[in-house]
Formats: sequence, structure tokens, C-alpha cells
Amino acid sequence: MKKILFSLVLAVVGISYFNNIYAQSEEELVQICTMISGDAEYLKDFRIKLDAGDPPPVQRFPILLKKDIKYRFTVCNSKDYEGKVILQLYDNNRQLATTYIVATGKDYPYIDWVCTKTGAYHLVYSFRDGKAGMAVGLLSMVGTM
Amino acid sequence: MRRFHIIALIGPLLIGQLLSSCNSCKRDGVDLSQELYIPDSVVETNQSPQVSKDVTEKMMQNISSPVETAALIKGLKIPFNKNYLASTDQAEKFNTNFEKALALGIYGCDLGYLNMYEKTSFVVDYISTIKRLADDIQVGQFFDFSTLKRLATNNENLDSLILISQQSFNRIDTYLSETNRSMFSAVIVAGVWVEGAYLSSRVAQISDHPRIRETIGEQKTIINFLMALLKVYEKDPDMAKLIDELQPIKKIYDGVKITYELGEPEMVEENGVVTFKQTDKQIIEMNDELYNELIKSIQDLRSKILKL
Repeated sequence: MKKILFSLVLAVVGISYFNNIYAQSEEELVQICTMISGDAEYLKDFRIKLDAGDPPPVQRFPILLKKDIKYRFTVCNSKDYEGKVILQLYDNNRQLATTYIVATGKDYPYIDWVCTKTGAYHLVYSFRDGKAGMAVGLLSMVGTM
Repeated sequence: MRRFHIIALIGPLLIGQLLSSCNSCKRDGVDLSQELYIPDSVVETNQSPQVSKDVTEKMMQNISSPVETAALIKGLKIPFNKNYLASTDQAEKFNTNFEKALALGIYGCDLGYLNMYEKTSFVVDYISTIKRLADDIQVGQFFDFSTLKRLATNNENLDSLILISQQSFNRIDTYLSETNRSMFSAVIVAGVWVEGAYLSSRVAQISDHPRIRETIGEQKTIINFLMALLKVYEKDPDMAKLIDELQPIKKIYDGVKITYELGEPEMVEENGVVTFKQTDKQIIEMNDELYNELIKSIQDLRSKILKL
């Protein structure tokens, strides 16, 4: 019995240690995302973590964007999950931009958005095919128009 | 005996799987109109948006951004002016946590302006003041003072100054939300907005650039969201007072007419970079009298907050 308990404790400690050593943290993802976004000025980051599901679960973030600013939306996937993150930018009910172009099947690590209307928008994050995933989205500013 | 070891190894994995489900996952569609209505046609927007506490709190950090305000001003080739900024000597006048949070927003906006114009010689003074105020409201640990001081002192990597300043304020916001002190986040945001609007109003007095006039006018959209956010906490007497002080500005903005002409975004791909260009137009109508009233009321409120 003692041996069983010892083995259980050892396994739990081992798994926790293994996860802490090798799991990619959100902070690491933010750093990677910041590098990918290049010389755009960091404004805000969004942490996304979703379970698998059908229809694909989404995480939404309302934001205010300003006229005459060119924004950059960068996405970074955690290597610990299968899911590939997709960002869609919406105003009321209109999709305005996305990092995944369905017609071509192309995924982009970042997209730029030239804003001509100050107001509220929504960032909608999901993972392709409803797979589980962890990701970070970055909002940054490329410059003024 | 080997069987026990297998159970010991597999058991925790199964338990881990069961415990690792994400609580925040919502299987909802993307009908956003229920949470936040944005005019979808040529429509006048005089009403405050009806938004949930959750939405306004999530939007908090983004309601007013010092970096964007300063970038717009700099983009119009308006020269830097130290006299626009709040004097750090004023910081001693703030006694309550509410006042300190408001001041934190004001100095945070000024820091964004300094960073944007790369005026590192003034930065240390402002980050010292911000650090003191942040310590007083128990969020100083999230303001990366030492790194900011090193960057400013050595005049190195100015992009990092903006990055770390922004991240510090974002961490403060996250911490305040996690510790049920979201009201202070809202107060900081109000401070940032007041100072940003003030900077724009000062520029408006020296420049007749139409974009500056538009910047003043479009604050109507932002003050509507800001008021919706502040009203979540209106039971607090200090917050009720701040709302009352903002009300005259809001009332003047009611006379500003904003309409939109919607268009389809255009997608352009160049060198592997995809750019979506919005083609919507915003049309802001206000007469000179309204414009001058707005400038004056914004400046009066800022003077009141800074106890000038």
C-alpha cells in the first residue's frame, strides 16, 4: 500500500514537473507574438484558451478602434495544442477581416487593418475545425494614416 | 505489483484530463448585436450604448489609449509641447485612492505622449510619479519601473519604452480585475481619456487641421462608452461625483451629430502582408460654438481634477 501511494505521489509530482518545464506559457506566447508583429507598437494582448467543440467555441473581445490608425492583429498558437487559431474582426454583424482566408486556405500570422471609423469592434477568436487550442492575440499599432 | 505502478502512472493522467476543462469556453455563435449595437447604416448616434458590465470591463483598457492619441497628434506634425502635460508637482495633492487612480490615468497618458515624441529626458520624472501613485493604490509591483528607468536613462530601444509602459498598465488592469477592484481600472481609464481629450483640445487651439476637429468630435463615441463603463460603479460616491463632472461634456456632445456611410472592406496582399482597408466613412457635424464649448469644458474638467 505504501508503495502504491508512493508511486501515485511520484507520478503526480513528475507530471506536474514535466508540464511546468515543457508547457508553453501565455507570457512566452506574448513575447513570441510581439516579435512576430515586428515594428508595430504593442497596445494590448488577448489570451485565448478553448476546448474542442462542434460548432467551434469562440472567445470574443470588444475593442475600440480609432479612425486613421493602421492596426496590426497578430496571432500565435501554443505548440502544446493541435488547434490553429483564427481571428475574425467584426463590427456589428459584419465580418471585416480575418487571419484565415477560406477561399485560398491561407493562414496569416498577422493582418493589418486600416481603420476609417472610430467605434466599437469585436475580435472573435476560434480554433480551426473546432480543435482544442491555446493562443495569444496581439493588438498593435503600425502607424497613422 | 507492476499493475499497481501502471495504475499509479495512468491514474493522475486521467484525473488531469478531467480537471483540465476550460471554464470560459462558450459555445455561442457570433451574433454580436445582442451585446453591443453599432449603427449599421447611415444613422445618428445620440444615445449612450447599452452594454453589459462584462463588455464594458473587457473594453476598459482599450477605451482610451495614450499611444493612439499621441500618435495621431504627432502624425499631424504638431510639435511636442511640454506645457501641455500635467506637472508632476501636482501629484502631492491627491489624497484618496480614487484621486490617485485618476491621476495615474492622467500621468499614464502623458507618459504615452512623452514616449511617442521620444522625450526620454522627461520620462524618469513621470515614471517616478506613476510608480508612487501605483504603490499607493497597491499596484506598484506591476509597473516595471526599473526597466523603464534604465531604458529612459540610457536612451535605448525607445520602442521598448512604449511596450513596457503599455504592458505595465495592462497588468495593473488585469490585477485590479482579478482582485475585484475593477472600479479603479475604470477610474484610471477615465483619467487617460480626460488627459487625451485635453491634449487634443490644446492642439485644437493652435491648429485648424480638420483631423483635429474630427478628433474632438469623435470623442462623442468614446465618452458614451466611458460613461456606460463608469455608471457600472455609480453607487460609489466618488464615482457618482466624477460622472456628474463628466455630464456637462456629455451634454455638449449630444449636440454633435455623427453619421456613417458603410462600405465593404478591401483586401490587399503585398509582400505576403495582408491589409484590410475599411471603406466606411464617418461624418461629424458640429458648429464652431459647440467645438469651442467642448474645448473649454474638457479643459475645465481637467483643471478641476488636477486641482489647479
